[in-house]
Amino acid sequence: MVALREGPVFPDARAAFFAAGPEPLDLAVDLSMRIGTLTLRTPVMPASGCFGPELGALIPVGELGATVTKTVFGSARGGNPVHRLTEIPAGMVNSVGIPSRGPAGYLAELHPRYAALGVPTIISVGGHRPGEYAPVVEALCEHGSAFELNVSCPNLDRDGTDIGSDPAAIRAVVGAVRRVTDKPIIVKLPVLVASIADCARAAEEAGADAVCVANSIPAMPLDAATRRPILGNVIGGLSGPSIKPIVLRLVWLASRAVQIPVIACGGVGTVDDALDYFSVGASAVQVGTASFGRPFAAVEIARGLGHRCLDAGVGSIRELLELETAL
Amino acid sequence: MNPNPFSERNPSLVDKLDGREGLDQRREVDAARRAAAARQRAFAEADAAALDGLISVRPRSLVPRPQPVWDDAEVLVHEPAGERYRRLVLASDAIAAAAQAGQFLMITVPPNGGDTVLLPRPMAIHRRRPAAPACPATADQLATVAIAGTVELIYGVVGRGTRALAAVPVGGSLQVTGPLGRGFEFPRGTRTALLIGRGVGICGVMGAAEDAAAAGIRTTMVLSGQRPEQLLGRTDCAELGVRVIEATDDDGSSGLDTLGARLRAEFDGSTPEATPPDVVMVCGAGVLARLAAELGAHWGVPVQASLEAHMACGLGYCHGCAAPVRTDPSVEGPLVCADGPVFDARIPID
Repeated sequence: MVALREGPVFPDARAAFFAAGPEPLDLAVDLSMRIGTLTLRTPVMPASGCFGPELGALIPVGELGATVTKTVFGSARGGNPVHRLTEIPAGMVNSVGIPSRGPAGYLAELHPRYAALGVPTIISVGGHRPGEYAPVVEALCEHGSAFELNVSCPNLDRDGTDIGSDPAAIRAVVGAVRRVTDKPIIVKLPVLVASIADCARAAEEAGADAVCVANSIPAMPLDAATRRPILGNVIGGLSGPSIKPIVLRLVWLASRAVQIPVIACGGVGTVDDALDYFSVGASAVQVGTASFGRPFAAVEIARGLGHRCLDAGVGSIRELLELETAL
Repeated sequence: MNPNPFSERNPSLVDKLDGREGLDQRREVDAARRAAAARQRAFAEADAAALDGLISVRPRSLVPRPQPVWDDAEVLVHEPAGERYRRLVLASDAIAAAAQAGQFLMITVPPNGGDTVLLPRPMAIHRRRPAAPACPATADQLATVAIAGTVELIYGVVGRGTRALAAVPVGGSLQVTGPLGRGFEFPRGTRTALLIGRGVGICGVMGAAEDAAAAGIRTTMVLSGQRPEQLLGRTDCAELGVRVIEATDDDGSSGLDTLGARLRAEFDGSTPEATPPDVVMVCGAGVLARLAAELGAHWGVPVQASLEAHMACGLGYCHGCAAPVRTDPSVEGPLVCADGPVFDARIPID
């Protein structure tokens, strides 16, 4: 017996998800946000390293505000030895080591696929010395919609201190990049800093258009059976739900310190996670670890923000939060 | 004053736990646990070392790669399979229709009580049963329809993720992404094949047995495992007309030397039935991949090996599943999910 089903029948849940949106919210709700000269139609984007053009076939990427690439370094890197990732309660620890084929490899192999997705491409750029960032941005300048500077890298000019934990190094990196591009610059700050406010201010003063707070947290998972490190690189970066309260504090502190937008990144997996960050001052969110289990998580959050506003009869996230906090 | 419920009910147990004898026992248990962990570590290291220099990415084929989808697949069957595994039959027309031999799915683990598992778990597609024609006519065809549009997976409960997965009821649904990766492919003109699977790795090669049966390829499959009660795939092989060679740790028949000698003898060319296979496909252990590569070199036939790895995305963008291939440090090697899981396996020539 084959039951007749009402309405359209989709071959799989993915197809049904594509068909479910976007709804014509645009007239009633304005979710757009600006990073310098760049306007994003919605304040939701993937976190660097947690997205690839492969996802274009699985989710309606056009409903995101932007894509963010895996970090591009000035020279080719092979990445870290196996094992590169593991899961612990409420978190993932990865030590992938950011394999990169350099700017030329990125432009030849990856950029055309990002560009075809139809939303702004924010190119993440890394370096081992403050002087290494600007040449990469210069090489990619006409291709990226914006640049996110991944400063959570050991500074080989200063005995391996994280560039992003040193306001002077942040100033040097951002100043040099500012001189080679008019495109918006986002500085992605690390978690382990003496003062996130000082770091965010250093970025703002040197000409950054936004800061992204924060990155994964250095961590070291052990195998209980052998007492040995699980990761080939011994240490990795912790991400996922367990870091959200840590990053909420940092976003709160950073957004009180600077006028430029703060993009929150740390354990965002639901609309309420996003609204938590907006309520402490964030202007946008990045979705990382949640996307592995639920590839559609970022799109779901973008849709959910619109629906929450529509249901509350308000036109923006700001108004929605005012309504919620007035209760 | 620190009441001990055990002292009321079972004084002898307290004596055991608190007394000298108990301490010795605990030390024994502890030593046994350490020894087991050391054995496991030594095996894992040897297994990884066995792949050293062995594998390479297969040339791109002309067969179009299926486009993965994600689906909320209904759980039709979820039951024990043998002593240590569980069988999962999922309804998804889209995935069942597209899946190729040796491909895998990423299974998103639903929340279990208060425990949320973040990363999806990669699992080989054990059996594919694409949707049947729309209007079944015979009773046989009706029986087929009951399982049409499904994929079957088998997994062992080994950690948090698979424990949570085991709690999913029949009638519930699981979010799955797939089919993923590059699977097994029979070289053109293959008439006979040897498949080797160990443990849950038997599922990795069962898709190749399905293709072989459909193409009339004469197939032998080695089912390897710890104990006969744990071996997977006997029923599947019987259904597909695949000859089975069982090899278990219990009686030593799974030992590499023993198994290698047996397979050399089985395919020594002495009779038409004993002609060496045209291809060898293997999944489940690095040491078996090496044995298969040695046999392949002996017979002069190609060997394809399917590998496992921890992974987060299954699509290639997270770069979490580096394959054990040595490369220049500035060049990233292949990824198990996107370049594999099936690789060519050849004994390196020094």
